[in-house]
Amino acid sequence: MDLSFSPAQQLLQQSARAFLLQRCSPERVGFAADLWKEIATLGWPGLLISPELGGSGGSVADALALVGELGRACFPGPFIASAVVATIALGRAEGRRAHDLLAALALGERICTLALLEGSARLEPGRLNGRQLFVPDAHLATDVIVLGSGPAGPTALLLPMDRAGIAAHPLDSMTGDKLFELVFTDVPIRGEDLLGAPGEAWALLSPAVRVGALARSAEMAGAAQRVLELCIEHARVRVQGGRPIGAHQAIQHACADSYRDVESARWLTWEAEWKLATGRSGADAAVAAAKVYAGEAALRVARRAHQIMGAIGYSEEHPLHLFHKRILAASLDAGDATQHLDAVARSIGLA
Amino acid sequence: MDFGHSAAEQAFAEEVRAFLRAHPPDIFPPDGTDAGYGSGAHSRPFTAALGERGWLSLTWPREHGGQERPMGFQLVLLEELAAAGAPFGPLAGCLQVAESIIRHGSATLQREILPQVARGHATFWQGYSEPGAGSDLLALETRARLDGDHWLLDGRKIWSSHAGIATYGTVLARTDPASTRSRGLSMLMVDNRLPGLELRPIRSLTGQVYHYEVFMDAVRVPRDWVLGQPGEGFGQLLHGLDTDRFWGRFYKAPFLRRILGLLVEYVRAERPDDAVARHRLAHAAVEIAALRALFQRAAWLIEQGLPATGPVSAAKVMADELGQRVLTLGMELLGPYGVLRAGSRGAKLRGEIEHQYQTSWGHTLAGGTSEIQRTTIAVRALGLPAEPRGRG
Repeated sequence: MDLSFSPAQQLLQQSARAFLLQRCSPERVGFAADLWKEIATLGWPGLLISPELGGSGGSVADALALVGELGRACFPGPFIASAVVATIALGRAEGRRAHDLLAALALGERICTLALLEGSARLEPGRLNGRQLFVPDAHLATDVIVLGSGPAGPTALLLPMDRAGIAAHPLDSMTGDKLFELVFTDVPIRGEDLLGAPGEAWALLSPAVRVGALARSAEMAGAAQRVLELCIEHARVRVQGGRPIGAHQAIQHACADSYRDVESARWLTWEAEWKLATGRSGADAAVAAAKVYAGEAALRVARRAHQIMGAIGYSEEHPLHLFHKRILAASLDAGDATQHLDAVARSIGLA
Repeated sequence: MDFGHSAAEQAFAEEVRAFLRAHPPDIFPPDGTDAGYGSGAHSRPFTAALGERGWLSLTWPREHGGQERPMGFQLVLLEELAAAGAPFGPLAGCLQVAESIIRHGSATLQREILPQVARGHATFWQGYSEPGAGSDLLALETRARLDGDHWLLDGRKIWSSHAGIATYGTVLARTDPASTRSRGLSMLMVDNRLPGLELRPIRSLTGQVYHYEVFMDAVRVPRDWVLGQPGEGFGQLLHGLDTDRFWGRFYKAPFLRRILGLLVEYVRAERPDDAVARHRLAHAAVEIAALRALFQRAAWLIEQGLPATGPVSAAKVMADELGQRVLTLGMELLGPYGVLRAGSRGAKLRGEIEHQYQTSWGHTLAGGTSEIQRTTIAVRALGLPAEPRGRG
């Protein structure tokens, strides 16, 4: 057993925390292209890309260590969609298109989003019609991985966002995430657009989405950790009735419960990462369990924080709402609790 | 990150499993009730069987007859025993007292007691709580004064687990009459056979005896049967609390996993189409996994000699509260069968759920209440200001 971060991971965490503290305060709403350029010079979008393609060939564990810091900072933008899920899917795909895109992703020159959810995209010979919902950051993305239903079954496509016939319509979400509906109208499809074999989309995408679920768990644990720190800072300095509110058991015990939630979510996530990385049996169920638990635990931390912070936490002036909404969005992304609980149920023998 | 066991630890896990297959828990008669923590009933024959294999002194220094194995072996042993439902009730107490004697005990205590522990012939009770000193342990009134080569011990302890069937107790007493609160306390090792010691069994709500009240009337304890220096009892208690809480609860996750397995089997057999039961069991499995991960983290910190107060207290609270939820789920799934005791006509799952359900209500009190744990986390791990103390 060794539950410590490698020296390289510690360095990554420390440098990420310092950079984000300076350049990405939680109050900074929305994505900025300059910030993505800067993280590209730090090598973050290329973390999971092989050195031959200009990346740093890091591990999933390295990515989780970084994503935890992004969660702490409420980092805006499609890091998990592009630099984790799409990157892993592209890395598993054969072909020049995928490799060229990976090289451009590593440089921060392109961003790849995902159109996998709630849609009706139909692949017919030579064209794509229909739509997909909940596509993150389509306004910034240069490329998109689309899940379409084709004659051979679910088929993954890699398309440039400026391909004729693709229209992006923004959704209006309370979480502040930039989500879009992509509408495909007679989008011309060529053989080279196929990502993997026709009908084999999930063989390609499942491992990537699984790591995405893990990354979301790490992001939520990181965000919840920061929320707990905000609560503690507030409880120490906020004086009512002649003493800090943090000297009252009601507040102390709420903070203690949040501490339990943060720690258990974090280590359950890391245990799932270890199982996945070492090919242990039950790794998929472990990821599912981590995603369910991190979502619930981090939301408990956020909701408790509203009570600890009092009215200031209800205002837009305080960053708490951003963390709360970010956690909520992450808990629903990459498979919600119902979906993952189903996988856990199967793993304990309940078909 | 590596959550796995070493090759040697894995081989040891296999060895423990093989032992348990060859010696199923049922063949060892219990002599004390199962308190529900996951360590099963108190069974001297089983404890002795562990001793025969050298498994009670795995991590001790060689000079005391131990094997100097890494802590991971102890974790493996407890986890395997709990997963099999073995009756190792006294084990955590044995491990803790042995560690304390190795660290703080006089040569006499080391010579007298450690070999008995290693063979599985000695078990222990804790004499901490008193009728007027529960969560406020420092309000204790038990006293000991030197009389020649002996301590003369007077007082009254309560909620001492298995005291009536154990061999020795560790008794926290005030040895400096001029002292108050945390100063002037000493930890005495008391032989159950000493004159002046009287034990009154307390029947718990389960209908069985687990706790005892202990009356001490001029009990003569040899002068060197004290752990550490006289007056250092509280520091020693504090030092031991994190590890006590850890070793007293670590096996709750595999225990709850075993209970969950029973409930899964029941639902598969009796209500296979119950989607709500399926959902609730899956959710319980998630929480049990999270509990285990938290204990793993605490274990690693303890192994590294790093501060572990926060994770240990958090894991204890979570273990005990989750235990109550899982057993409550068990009662709800069993419906009217849930309340039937072991041996009753119609009992399901050997009547285990009702007993464990009842014991679970003591766990959030024992070893420091959940409220004390939360305050400990807030003040000692998170740095929140301590609540002002009342007078008295």
